[in-house]
Amino acid sequence: MTPAERQRVQALFEAALDRDDGDPAAWVRAQLDEDPAVRDEVLSLLAHHQHAGEFLSTSILERATDLFEPETGLAPGTMRGSYRVIREIGRGGMGCVYLAEDTRLGRHVALKAVAPDLVRDASHRERLRREARAAGALSHPGICTVYALEDLDGETYLASEFVDGATLRDEIAAGVRPAPEQVLATARDIASALAAAHDRGIVHRDLKPENVMRTHDGRIKILDFGLARLDADGTGDESAFVTRAGVIVGTPAYMAPEQLTGKAVDARADVFAFGVLLYEYACGIHPFAAGSPIATMARVLDSQVTPLVDRCPDLPAQVVDVVARCLRKLPEERFGSAREVVGALSRPPADPSRSPSVWWLTHQLAIMLLYVLSAVRGWQVRFWFGTPLTVGIFMFLGVGAAVAGIIRGHLAFTQQFNRRGLGAEWRRLRLPLRLIDLGMATALVADALIQAPWPVSAVWTLALAAALGMAATVLDPATSRAVVDRD
Amino acid sequence: MPVVYNELRRLAAHYMRGERPGQTIQATALVHEVYLRLAGANAPWHDERHFVGIAARAMRQILVDRARARGAAKRWAGLNRVSLVDSLAVAADETIMLPALDEALTRLEAIDPEQARIVELRFFGGLSIDEAAAALGISSGTLKRRWALARAWLHRELAPSL
Repeated sequence: MTPAERQRVQALFEAALDRDDGDPAAWVRAQLDEDPAVRDEVLSLLAHHQHAGEFLSTSILERATDLFEPETGLAPGTMRGSYRVIREIGRGGMGCVYLAEDTRLGRHVALKAVAPDLVRDASHRERLRREARAAGALSHPGICTVYALEDLDGETYLASEFVDGATLRDEIAAGVRPAPEQVLATARDIASALAAAHDRGIVHRDLKPENVMRTHDGRIKILDFGLARLDADGTGDESAFVTRAGVIVGTPAYMAPEQLTGKAVDARADVFAFGVLLYEYACGIHPFAAGSPIATMARVLDSQVTPLVDRCPDLPAQVVDVVARCLRKLPEERFGSAREVVGALSRPPADPSRSPSVWWLTHQLAIMLLYVLSAVRGWQVRFWFGTPLTVGIFMFLGVGAAVAGIIRGHLAFTQQFNRRGLGAEWRRLRLPLRLIDLGMATALVADALIQAPWPVSAVWTLALAAALGMAATVLDPATSRAVVDRD
Repeated sequence: MPVVYNELRRLAAHYMRGERPGQTIQATALVHEVYLRLAGANAPWHDERHFVGIAARAMRQILVDRARARGAAKRWAGLNRVSLVDSLAVAADETIMLPALDEALTRLEAIDPEQARIVELRFFGGLSIDEAAAALGISSGTLKRRWALARAWLHRELAPSL
């Protein structure tokens, strides 16, 4: 059928549907000046239209829910190779997980069915094998040991150490907030296990409370290094992971911004996930909690986290600081690896009296004092000389001192009572402040030139100008940035 | 990056606009996958219309892939041809027909790309008539008529003998 004929079919079909006289087919048949082929086509389509019923009328999104249900699992007692299934213990992103007995060695293992689409072709299979080998090489008491990747009865299974206990998710869901010392101890255990993997160039990529278990005797174990891969591998085909149909690699709520945007991922993505996990574990609230997963992802990418100390003021300072640094959006601002996290967690908490905010406040007060001195100097010079120029300079200094003094007072207030707003306020006001400071310094230099015949007095004025100029260009930016960046 | 933020926010707002009937955890899982696909494909989108279009296309691919992985094609081939028209009419076992529908849709695309897009937006993207019309920049009335034609055409592809 030619495009022109198809257009006629479309027009005739639509015209027939628009008629309300009950029998569009009869009307089409009556269109005798139409090409018979066009009429037949329209009649055929009309017949199908009438029989279509509910066909396509409801979006598959509301019907295809079974596509996202897990497949039915293996029944207890089933043999797979030399493994006897004891019971199902969970379902992960890759497939079902069973507690099974390895009848050759007489030990219990966790047997994880690998979803078929993960091993559909040879390259996926090879990749998974490499990952299993990498994970199998990890031997650390805090990491669940991978034993083998097995092909059993046409399906692929990952056999690993069976860890009996509860996940951190269970602990969080129980709703009992852990004691501060407990948070610190747990953080150290997880970080040092993760560090053992990072030391060998292995990134977990899917760290979350579901993947961290505490055994009955209180030891921490990180599970599922099966999805990790050697980051030294460097093939750069990250998208193969992200775009593979049917499997979500990584959990969006624990994924670092660079992971969410499909960029290359390294140990620092684990550091981010560790920060999210620790935050949630410490205070029971997910730092990016939102109404829907997409909204959570948007928050991960875009919004600042409520500082942990605001939610749980009793936490050890190291935990608060470590979490804040782990959750930085830019990977280069986070810890380089879990090894550095371990270091930061074992350092004694910083002495609050050495915090930059004390220095910052001192500097602000000193600069305000300089304003007062400048205004006084301007008044003296005006008093001695009385020329219109000195009067003008005095007025400028007075107004400048008042305005800049108020702005600095406002910043000091913000720093004391609305810490989180300080960064925005400072960025908004730093340019006017700097201009006023430099303007006042210039005015003082002019005053000094007028007093040139009286060198001692002139030097005093010049010194004031220099102090203000230095405060504006060196001192204030440095301490302000230190305080703003810290918050 | 900022484009990603904005589109994500908008999509988030769309999905947070009250629970849609039948929208389940599974549908949200789908949204994750769509997002991950879009992010991984690094496909830049120019505006919301375009974004909705490629999101619907991604949903089509994901759902069809899933249905294929679950052996839908085999079950479709084994369906009773006599009762096929009836099962289509009551939309029973729609997931089984997904691979066949996907192939028919590809054929439709060759003939009339706009009709294929309408089906993607409505059926795979879950957009209402008005939303789909807005995404394509045509009137709701026009969309409704084209949609009827596309539906009849696809129905004939899947069940040639009435």
